[in-house]
Parts: sequence; structure tokens; C-alpha cells
Amino acid sequence: MNCSFIEKISSLIDGELSPTEAREVERHLLTCSECEQLRADFLNLRSQITSFETSLQPEVQNRALKKILAGPRRAPARGLQWGFGTQALAFAVLLIVVGVIGFVAYQKSNQRDRQDMAKVQNPAPMPAASVEPSKSPEAKESPEPQPSPNKGSEEKSPRQAPNKRPIVREPKPGEQFAAIPEHVRSADAETMTAMHFETSERLLLAFKNVRLDEPSAAEEVGYERKRAKQLVYQNMLLKREADAAGDVQISSLLENLEPILIDIANLPDRPDENTVRAIRERVERKNIVGLLRVNSTALARALD
Amino acid sequence: MASEDDEFTMLFQDFYPSLCRFLECLLGGRAPLAQDLAQESFLQLHRTAWGTLPVGEARFWLYRVARNMAINEFRKSNTRYRLFDRVVEVMRPRARNPEQEYEVQERNAMVLEMLQTLPEDQRAALLLREQEQLSYREIGQVLNISESKVKVDIFRARASLRERWSKLSGISRVARMGN
Repeated sequence: MNCSFIEKISSLIDGELSPTEAREVERHLLTCSECEQLRADFLNLRSQITSFETSLQPEVQNRALKKILAGPRRAPARGLQWGFGTQALAFAVLLIVVGVIGFVAYQKSNQRDRQDMAKVQNPAPMPAASVEPSKSPEAKESPEPQPSPNKGSEEKSPRQAPNKRPIVREPKPGEQFAAIPEHVRSADAETMTAMHFETSERLLLAFKNVRLDEPSAAEEVGYERKRAKQLVYQNMLLKREADAAGDVQISSLLENLEPILIDIANLPDRPDENTVRAIRERVERKNIVGLLRVNSTALARALD
Repeated sequence: MASEDDEFTMLFQDFYPSLCRFLECLLGGRAPLAQDLAQESFLQLHRTAWGTLPVGEARFWLYRVARNMAINEFRKSNTRYRLFDRVVEVMRPRARNPEQEYEVQERNAMVLEMLQTLPEDQRAALLLREQEQLSYREIGQVLNISESKVKVDIFRARASLRERWSKLSGISRVARMGN
């Protein structure tokens, strides 16, 4: 092959070309069958390489994690060798535990004392029948309502536990290679979906590579924004199609993709770095690019 | 401390399988060795660098360390490992039915065979691109090379694999016709 574009095709499928270059190469692909074939072959190679399945077993993974967490956090300096061994360590731990228990008990007793004090200073409102007639008018006029016992208990209610992610999580969908849906959808919809995934993947890769500090950033963002706008509508239609066909996997991927496309489509000309970083982080956290790749490959295989 | 461990656990669950896959492809199979090296990389991260690295850097740090370990393994005489790996491979329990298992094994073997024909630096760059979806800039950080070298390495790797792939497909087609 002697075409001058061949090297750029590799960068094109990686989303590493500037919008101007990408447009130029895409136009070239329409007229050069050799380059189009090269692009298809490179994508095929990609799908072969990503289809490699590691032979890792979950129990091996869990064992490895336990072993790592059981180890010391930071290796101590070489000269600092303690001669006391485990006994000294056990004693130190015991001291700490006793200290912590003592501190907690002290805190609790203090808290109780404070509550008692508070009760004395702010007694709960007396029932109307028990109000003494001899009370001074100033006391009656006091407009500030006393906190009700209920409100007090609300305030003391335990704080909501922070929303922690579980330690051992279900494997991410992208970690397992997507199975071809068992039910049959129309070949047209599947082809459209596969193409949509491929285009969206390219868009997200290109978006990941936009450098805001470069002068061409505004042009690049503008280009990605335009592409995202086109893809949003397609995404909605394909999601409806997937829902109708009962294809949960595809529908859920399209559902995850939609807000990201909308966010890119709504970016200003000169977006600030934090906004762009937030979108990129969401894409990465949800492993959207990986899922798009895996699913477009699976759909393409099913169509073959 | 507990939350630091939780964060570490999340990172581990997210990236241990993909680090194993990366090493397995880099080493040309040898899954147990790949898993050991991945574990060792995480162990080093936990012991030394965890907490000092910026959030987004830990992943790149892991791949860099793991790749260096793999390079050390290439340098060692490794017949012993190969034999041991094969024994473990045969004894590993299978979850799929034999036909599916055979298909996966065939595909994996073909991918590994192709990847082994590439020079190590091209192989590492291509794997980080295709399997880990890193950008050229990120790959450059992991492999400590310039972005333009990453671009060239990936292109050369693809071009060379494409040629080999077409030859392999041709051979298998001829073999099928012969049968």
C-alpha cells in the first residue's frame, strides 16, 4: 500500500486526530477502497485483541487482595528494628485499646452530663394546667417556643452513614465480554446500533484527547459538540428500539451513554477544565468506552 | 485507615483483572506468573506509593511497575515457569462447557501467538491502547516514551499484525478446505 493516509488511519480509529484531520481522512476513506479495507482490518484486529479472556479465577483475586491488605502499609526503615517482637506489639495494641475505651467512656459520661445540664437550663414546656398563676407577665410574653422533645430527638438521631461503595463489588459489565443477546432484533437496528456504538466510541476517545490549553481547543470542542448533538437523537431512537425488543443490555448501555452525549452537546465554546474533567471521569468510571467497544464487536459478530 | 483500605480495595477490584490480562498478553500466556506479577505490583503500591500518588496516577504507576517486572522476567531463564504454568493450566477448573472452552482457548492462543511476533515495546503500546483504552499521551507516560513514538509503535504493530493475520487466516482457510 502506498497511500499517504495509512498511518493516519491508525490514529483515526484511536480518536487521536484533530477534527480537521479526522474529517480529511474520513473523506478520503469514501474514495479509497484500500484504506477503507485497512481501517476494517485494524478494527477487526482490535476486536481480536480485546476478545482475549484472562484466565483469572475470582478466588485467586480474593486471595491476592487479602494477602496484600494483610501486609504492612509502608516498609519500615532498615535501621529501625524493634527487639521486643510480637509481645511488645500486643502490649502496645492493648494500651491503645484501653485508651480508646477509656476515652469513649469519658466522652459518653461528659455527653450525659451536658444533656442533664441542658435539661436543667431548658426545661420542657409544662402542660397548660400546671402553669402557676403567680408567674410574672414577662415570663408569659416570652415568644420563643421551647424545642419540643421530638425535635430534640430528631437532632440527636444518628447521622446518616456515608454512602460507601461496597468493598467487594460485582464485576463491571465491561470486564466480562458481552454475550450476544439471545433474542433476535431486526438486523437493521442491530447494524445501526453497532455503528452508533462505534461512532460514539470514536467521539468519546476524541473528547478524551482534547487539550484545553491548546489554541485549537475551541474548534475541537465545537466539532465534538456537533457530533454529540447528532448522536443524542440517534441514541434516543435506538434506546426506544432496544426497549421494544426487550434488549436490556443494549438499552442500559444506551441509557448510560445518553447523559454523557447530552453533556458534551451542551458544552460552551470554551468549557472550563473542571467540567470537561468531570465528563471524562464519568466516562471512565462507567467504563463506557470499553462497553461500547465490546458491544459493537458482539453485535458485529452476531451480524456476520 | 479503613477508608484508605476501602479505596485501595476498589482500585484493586477495578484494575487487578485488567492488569492480569495485560501481563498475560505481554508474557505470551503464563497466567499464574502474570497473576503473581500483578499481585506483586499491587503489593508494592500498597506498601510504598499508596497515599502519596495523585488519584488518577495509581493506575499508570501500576502498569509501569508491572511492565518492568515483566521485562525482568523476559531476561530470566524461564523454562521452569513455562513447565509449571502448563501443569497449572491443565488442572484449572473449567466453568464453561468444553466446546465454549475450546473456542475461547483457540482464540486466546491465536491472539497470544500473534502478539508474540511483535517487539516488546510495540506489544506493550498496542495492548495499553486496545485493551486498556489509554490515550497516546497516557501510554507515553506508562512506557516513558514520547507520544510520537507511541503513535508510530502502534501503527507498526497493527500493520505487522494485519499482515500476519491475513497469512494465518489464509492458512486456516486452506486447512479447512483440505479437511
